[in-house]
Amino acid sequence: MRIRNILAVVVAMSMTCFAAAQSPSPAPSLVPEPPTDLIVADTPDDAGNSVEVHWNLSESDVFNTLLSDTQEVNPQQIVATYTVERKVTDGNGNEVSDEDASWRKVSEIGAGESQWTDRSVNLGWSYDYRVCAVDNQGDKSTWCNASGSVTPVMQMFNMSKAWLAIWMLLFGAFIAYFINCARSGKKLWVRKIAGLEAIDEAVGRATEMGRPILFVAGIQDINEIQTLAGLTVLSRVAKTAAEYGAQIEVPTCRSLVMAAARETVEAAYLAAGAPDSYQPDRIHYLTDEQFAFVAGVTGYMVREEPAACIYMGGFYAESLILAETGNHIGAIQVAGTAMPSQLPFFVASCDYTLIGEEFFAASAYLSGDPLQIGSLKGQDYGKFLSVLVLIIGIFFATTISMTESDESDGFGAGALNYIQNNILGNEGFGSFGGGDTDIEGDDS
Amino acid sequence: MTIDLENINVILATDCGSTTTKAILIEKVDGTYRQTYRGEAPTTVEKPFANVTIGVTNAVTEVGELAGRQLTNEDGTIKTPASDSDGCDMYISTSSAGGGLQMMVAGVIAEMTAASAKRAALGAGAIVMDVISSNDKRRPHEQIQRIRELRPDMILISGGTDGGTTEKVVQLAELIAPAKPQPRFGSEYEMPIIFAGNKMASGEVEATLQEDWIDLAVVENLRPTLEQENLGPARDKIHDVFLEHVMAHAPGYDMLMDWTDADIMPTPGAVGNILQTIAKKENINVVGVDIGGATTDVFSVFDETFNRTVSANLGMSYSISNVCAEATMPNVLRWVQFDMDERQLRNRVKNKMIRPTTIPQSLESLIFEQAVAREALRLAYKQHKEFATTLKGVQQQRTVGDTFSQQTGGNTIVDNMKLNLLVASGGVLSHAPSMNQTAMMLIDAFEPEGCTNLAKDSIFMMPHLGVLSAVHPEAAAQVFERDCLIYLGTCIAAKGLGKEGKPCFSWTLSGDVATSGTCNFGDIELIEMGPKETATIVCEPARGFDLGAGNGKKVTHEVCGGTVGLVIDGRGRPLGLPEERQQCQQTIARWVENMALYKEMEEAVVSA
Repeated sequence: MRIRNILAVVVAMSMTCFAAAQSPSPAPSLVPEPPTDLIVADTPDDAGNSVEVHWNLSESDVFNTLLSDTQEVNPQQIVATYTVERKVTDGNGNEVSDEDASWRKVSEIGAGESQWTDRSVNLGWSYDYRVCAVDNQGDKSTWCNASGSVTPVMQMFNMSKAWLAIWMLLFGAFIAYFINCARSGKKLWVRKIAGLEAIDEAVGRATEMGRPILFVAGIQDINEIQTLAGLTVLSRVAKTAAEYGAQIEVPTCRSLVMAAARETVEAAYLAAGAPDSYQPDRIHYLTDEQFAFVAGVTGYMVREEPAACIYMGGFYAESLILAETGNHIGAIQVAGTAMPSQLPFFVASCDYTLIGEEFFAASAYLSGDPLQIGSLKGQDYGKFLSVLVLIIGIFFATTISMTESDESDGFGAGALNYIQNNILGNEGFGSFGGGDTDIEGDDS
Repeated sequence: MTIDLENINVILATDCGSTTTKAILIEKVDGTYRQTYRGEAPTTVEKPFANVTIGVTNAVTEVGELAGRQLTNEDGTIKTPASDSDGCDMYISTSSAGGGLQMMVAGVIAEMTAASAKRAALGAGAIVMDVISSNDKRRPHEQIQRIRELRPDMILISGGTDGGTTEKVVQLAELIAPAKPQPRFGSEYEMPIIFAGNKMASGEVEATLQEDWIDLAVVENLRPTLEQENLGPARDKIHDVFLEHVMAHAPGYDMLMDWTDADIMPTPGAVGNILQTIAKKENINVVGVDIGGATTDVFSVFDETFNRTVSANLGMSYSISNVCAEATMPNVLRWVQFDMDERQLRNRVKNKMIRPTTIPQSLESLIFEQAVAREALRLAYKQHKEFATTLKGVQQQRTVGDTFSQQTGGNTIVDNMKLNLLVASGGVLSHAPSMNQTAMMLIDAFEPEGCTNLAKDSIFMMPHLGVLSAVHPEAAAQVFERDCLIYLGTCIAAKGLGKEGKPCFSWTLSGDVATSGTCNFGDIELIEMGPKETATIVCEPARGFDLGAGNGKKVTHEVCGGTVGLVIDGRGRPLGLPEERQQCQQTIARWVENMALYKEMEEAVVSA
């Protein structure tokens, strides 16, 4: 907007200079040409709290694309802004103030803009609008009035989000279907996750070697989803440790995580039928400081040489320090994080690594609960569908760019446009082939 | 005892089974050892004889009569050494009489030290009655109750790496001491317990098991570290204890032990021995199976690692009912090419269970029995694959390249593509009316991939040769090669799945047999190739199929014929049958016809 204004000024100045240097013409009217065809309409798919105002640019507006030559515009008439005024014609039974009942300025729009949305309207009230052009000197054109008043109404459905609704319904249907399947006893196949399968092995190793298991639930606080996912795995590790009679050590970086971890481990020991073996002191808080925490944990690792080290949660730079130390002491290491930057380190130094989604799926995988397994399976299908749409879009975009076709109304362009603007965008069902396709993708 | 192997010309070997004592005579003929005569007699471990040597003498006498050689003295003892016309230079024996060697094993973690202990026991030829471990989901009182109920010949305790857990190992000992399991051989018998666990815990284990009814022996840890398995010392000790305690208390075995020139071995242990010897000598991977009435033993040697499993409830007579229950009747019937009345079949199964010595009297019965055998073998092999695994609890080394291909430990080491020789023994396989049927049962149940030689043990000689291989490996290898195995032929099978009727692989044979062809997916062909014939086969698999060199890659194998010939199997792996019954029957009928399984019998029926 600002650039356009500056441009308008520059053009205006150059025109002025040009006009001055050329020939003196008869003194024109100093009032700019008015905007035309003012249309006001209730904004579709909203709660009845806005009105859209649209007009055609004034002939004195240098941004008016209908002008064959902007030099024809008198420099003194060049439109700087548009003024929009409004008055209430019907308060829908409410008392309307005199100020509202008479014309009052509600907005000032820069030159080149031909629409504005009034978001200060009341549901059910009726409004009249008018708009005029204003030049640099503050001279106003004649008013352009709307053909009638407009009354904003509320729509029950926001049709611009229709595709989103369909996605949600499909996701929901998938999840409901698979939960139902799982509940009815159908065996739902979930890919084997080596890292989770290895937990029993890691705990078994610790038991055979008579050494503890170290569990680190990341360095983030309890409000982080990764920490919660880590605690889910901790529950399983603790239960297995209780069954096998192994010792588990859980140093934490946040006090609240310590409290949650204690609850988790205690519940796991109880579930395993070994509440007497639960030792709360083994789940302890070290420090909030990242590297002080790492120093504490690695010091413990070097001293006690745990047979199994399990890292599940959000990790940053400490990931490699922990994993390398664990590798050095010969422990079986299982890691799980959704931090993409730390995954390569864990993969390289640990025996098993849960990658992103696997980590979050751990809860369903470990519990085998039909509700969770069904939900996991349903989400997978939903994701599959989303990826399928993206692949189709990529296919069309690639095909169009490879054929270097200028046609924006071909089938491919239409399909791509529909995917971008309707399926993935906010244009609802719309019509196939409508709108332009931006292959360059600068602002798509 | 030192034996001069150069001067051994006549070897007598016996295998004292539960019902039959089998004796074979091995003689040096033209410089090579050959099995010449065999004889058998009922085993006499049970009352009224209650002396195993009576049965041995009877069997040996029969062999002697057939060979025209006096092998026993007048008092029934074996006559040694050999002269030109009588006696033998060496007498050896195996035994599985009286239920063989029955053991209970214990370890800290079921998948780690307890699994190693089980491998040690099975490898030594024992039947493992139960495995007690810290994580077997049983409460201590249940474990004690179970130990009390069992009447093992000996107990093997393992647990903990060296320097590892002591507490858990002592806990295992503490379960056994109060349980006081009763041995099978009377109250005077001292229960042998072998401790092969954490050496740091041996003192405490000894203190815990210091009872007058226990004979404790401590050997090296069978898992000194979790990365290493050391089964040798434990196996040797099991063998020693078997001789000292179990055999010494079995009726007549003290005499038999005096007669033999080498230690008596448990029969399955001996079979394992010979397979290991052959695998090592020929540098091949071998799978052996012995399907009996009550149990099915599967032995495998892959990359010099020996494994044995005993599927206690899979057999063709006492356990046939269990096979049908475990495999389910539809799975059994999928191998039958015509409709059968399921109710009638169930009656037939129960009859076989209560009259275990009956044999099929009609073609229909035979086909059904062989269908059951396929399922029994398939299930036994499945169990074997699950047991024969790499070690669990081992640290893995990874690179970033492993991100999406992380494998857990404890994967099976049984790889059908690497299998070179498949050996069958046991009534239903050895005594099938046609060798083609034996070969087909093996292929259907084991699903060999790539190029695999098929053979059967002619007269169940492997136990004798197993014990012989311990004292005279050369003689054992020569007899095994020449007389023990009957080569059925070679199976060429592609791994992968495709569309019925589409090309699976093309092949070209050159050598003693020269021909070529294309095998379509879903087909099986039989190429005649005699026992002495060899050829080179060049196979070009279609995309999606593997014959050993990789997906779609050309492969060359040396193949040898046999009593069956060369089997070209394009049915794909894993082997699948159509779900629909009619279609399944048609498929089986086609395979039966292609392999000429029951052709001779059908012809015989028609002519009759």
